[in-house]
Amino acid sequence: MGILAGNRRKRWRSEPQEVADPKRELQLKLWLLRIGILVAFAILTGQLARLQLVRGDEYQQRAEFNQLRIEPVIPSRGLIYDRNGIPVVENVPGFSAAIVAADVPKERQLEIVGALERMLDVPALETSLKIDAARASNDPFTPLIIKDGLDRDTAFYMREQLGELPGVQVLVQSVRRYPAGAELAHILGYTGRIDSEEYAELKDAGYINSDYLGKAGVEAAYEEYLRGATGQKEIEKDAIGRELRTLGETPSRPGYDLVLSVDLDLQKRVTELTKAAAGDNQAAVVVMDVHTGEVLSLVSLPQYDDNIFSGKTDEVRLEQYLNDPRKPLVNHALAEQYAPGSIFKQITGSAALEEGVANPSTTITSNGFINVPNQYDPSIIYTFRDWRVLGTLDFYGGVAMSSDVYFYYLSGGYHEYGENFDGLGVDRLARYARQFGLGRKTGIDIAGEAAGVVPDPQWKEQTFPGDIWVLGDTYNMGIGQGFLAVTPLQMARVVTAVANGGTLLTPRVVREVRDSQGHVIVPNEPQIEGSVGVSDTNLAIVREAMRQAVQWGSANPAQSSKISIAGKTGTAEFGQRFADGNYETHGWFSGFAPADDPQIAITVFLERGVGATHAAPLASKILEYYLTRQQQRADGAGAAPSGVTP
Amino acid sequence: MNLRKLPTREFDPLMLLTALGLVAYGAALIYSGSLANYGSPSQALSHPVSRQIAFGAVGVLAMVVASRFDYRVLAPLSLSMYVVSLAMLIYVLVAGESEYGSSRWITIAGTQIQPAEIAKVTTVILLAKFLADNEDNIKSLRVFATSMAIAAVPAALVLVEPDLGSSLVFAVLWFAIVVIAGARPLHIGVVLVAAATLAPLAIWQLAHGYQLERFKVWIDPESDPTGAGFNIIQAETSIGSGGFWGKGFTHGTQTQLDYLRTQTTDYVFSVGAEELGFAGAMLLFALFIILLFRCVRVAGRADDAFGRLIAVGVAAFIVFQVFVNIGVNIRLMPVTGVPLPLVSQGGSSLITILAALGILQSILGHRRRRGRA
Repeated sequence: MGILAGNRRKRWRSEPQEVADPKRELQLKLWLLRIGILVAFAILTGQLARLQLVRGDEYQQRAEFNQLRIEPVIPSRGLIYDRNGIPVVENVPGFSAAIVAADVPKERQLEIVGALERMLDVPALETSLKIDAARASNDPFTPLIIKDGLDRDTAFYMREQLGELPGVQVLVQSVRRYPAGAELAHILGYTGRIDSEEYAELKDAGYINSDYLGKAGVEAAYEEYLRGATGQKEIEKDAIGRELRTLGETPSRPGYDLVLSVDLDLQKRVTELTKAAAGDNQAAVVVMDVHTGEVLSLVSLPQYDDNIFSGKTDEVRLEQYLNDPRKPLVNHALAEQYAPGSIFKQITGSAALEEGVANPSTTITSNGFINVPNQYDPSIIYTFRDWRVLGTLDFYGGVAMSSDVYFYYLSGGYHEYGENFDGLGVDRLARYARQFGLGRKTGIDIAGEAAGVVPDPQWKEQTFPGDIWVLGDTYNMGIGQGFLAVTPLQMARVVTAVANGGTLLTPRVVREVRDSQGHVIVPNEPQIEGSVGVSDTNLAIVREAMRQAVQWGSANPAQSSKISIAGKTGTAEFGQRFADGNYETHGWFSGFAPADDPQIAITVFLERGVGATHAAPLASKILEYYLTRQQQRADGAGAAPSGVTP
Repeated sequence: MNLRKLPTREFDPLMLLTALGLVAYGAALIYSGSLANYGSPSQALSHPVSRQIAFGAVGVLAMVVASRFDYRVLAPLSLSMYVVSLAMLIYVLVAGESEYGSSRWITIAGTQIQPAEIAKVTTVILLAKFLADNEDNIKSLRVFATSMAIAAVPAALVLVEPDLGSSLVFAVLWFAIVVIAGARPLHIGVVLVAAATLAPLAIWQLAHGYQLERFKVWIDPESDPTGAGFNIIQAETSIGSGGFWGKGFTHGTQTQLDYLRTQTTDYVFSVGAEELGFAGAMLLFALFIILLFRCVRVAGRADDAFGRLIAVGVAAFIVFQVFVNIGVNIRLMPVTGVPLPLVSQGGSSLITILAALGILQSILGHRRRRGRA
């Protein structure tokens, strides 16, 4: 403007002035140029001072944040051994392809997702959407898994291509492999990728969003031990994410190792024998140490291979498992409940002895049935059958022959047709059932347990409103039928208590937790839940009765020439009544050995089986195998001849 | 008197010293900025610092040689030099090598040459010659329009490279020269108004997508923090984190960990600001201000309009490039690739500017005066 005004003024002046002026005018312009230069630098200085002097600290922090990243150090997951030290899980490298959205140059995104589609067969559009979403999120630096379970060749090939694929990473993570596969799957369970809900819950505990954690079985139940403690690494990174140096590290602590109470050799044998006995049907077997509650073997048929969940889930086989009506993924030993049938008579019998309802010489005659008139309308007669006419029996005979009539008397009493026998009644029966651990979870260290049902009048009123508890319900309960529902594991605990003199133990599949140097973190100690409230004297009577059941009674098919076995069979009716008046049945056997000095207890459940014909021989073979093997080992080791303690 | 016809043989040592100071300053920053990629300068000749020093030596030689010749010999050559540089600019468009999406280089005898840097000087010389020749008709529209066309042709050629920054350099040096030459204020006013109204429109229409993108990212670099916004954010962080005294030479974390890109060329200032701090930047500014004042001094002392206008043109394009380059670094303006004169790595710019300063020395040394200087 100054120049402009000056010139305009000049135009009105005379010629000589205009000639005389240029020198001064030039100097003026050059001064303006100098001032312009100074103004330019003043502006630059002002902004520079704002950045460096006024906001310097803020930028300094930003620069530090730039290069320092804190990354979690994922610990190696604890290993698991069987009770004899055989490793039953391995950590193997698993490869997956991941992408860090922040490192994908926008202009090359199409090219990169296209290349990934060709290499990995993941739809380019899907990957692209994932990248966009991550970019928009507040955490574009976390690697996103785009394909799991790469085979080694693909992973190595991809690694070579990474230079061409900015933002793509090949992650190597430790995944689990289970050498025993299906034989231990129901015990060990499996691990899987953390899902978004779990991550939200666990990220403060050091989990990362591509982490693995236990999803089922021991892997899930012992997650906090197996996981270990996540470490932290403070690293300096350059602009393209290369690690330059580690500035500080809090090392991770490897996960603790677990020692199973399960005996892998026995587990294999039990699997094999049970498969032979059960055919295509569901089955469950639980073998327990009667003194400690340690589970030596736990088999649920059909089995599944937990390796399908390692790395990338094998969707095809998972689908097969899910579509199988026999539910291979469900642990039938503890997640499903059935009527126990006659093996429940252990409880009815124990309770009757303890309550003085019966003693060893209490005799009751089975004519094959008893009749009970309806309490409101005596013209209606209900008939409760025995499985056959058994004649007059004392307590031992009642148990040994598994007389239903005998146990109708013990549970509900009988006051008809001139007889006057006082039974336990539903309340006492239910109380003893609960004392033996029924109607609630056993607390075993495997997730997914069912609680079962111990019915009583209150329960019936709630479950079937308007339906009152009748004597027939007590009779049915007394012989393990009716509303009663148990898991094979619960019944294994019952027989264990009978065998050990009345101690209710919490079953365990893990006997010890150790750190990676072998120091014991959680020692092997029996977990005692309480007493079943029956004296050992009375339980000794029940044990003797069960020994006789095998010796000459209904459980005779469990007889072994090598060892002495005590036990009780059960054949529980279920489902719809057939035209001939019979039901489909489940076969049970619950017993222990040696009969005179119980060491191990067993409960066998065979879907669509019969106790005596199917369950008893199977149990016998298992007990025989285990005890003779222990004997041989003890002899071989030159140890004490009894040698049944593992 | 005979004496009147003799050249003054004056040489401005301060101009040479500040120029050398700036080259040394630049070489040091280039050394630091290339440590991450080159390690020690043991790789001798291929190392950027060695190359920069070699170019500097060539440039100083060019300056000394130019100062010895009477600058007036350039007058008859000015049109042909201008035409040759235009030809190079066209060649670049047809067969040039690209970097960062624009073609700016041609390779002659293994050396990359940026014709735009050369064209800036040849345009200054031709403009000076033309306006000096037409000193008496300086207020005529024909002369004004022709001068504008002289600058507009190379400006348009670099604009399509695309190199908006260099294009603006031509506009600014033209503007400075015509103002000093005494163009009619009305003409200048019309051009200013037209530029102010048309520029945004023209940028919108002509500029390539990337220019628009750069503009948006400049406003909000966080919109693309890992892409186009990366440089802006990282340069700002580098500079800001330098504080008053800087983090120490070769100890800038941003520079050494490669967070800065083009840290020896367009972003060399950020390296200095991070490692040498505000203090180092003030030293740099001081050197530039002294150099520029020495250039303006030449303009004030020149014997004739030709010399005066060359000096003004050179000063104008140096100050404008400094302002734009540093302005981009400190986020005063959107990203435009203009080198920092004498400091940025690159032979073309370095040699032509040093040669141009040699011409200024010649203007000073070839005055024909009576009496004392």
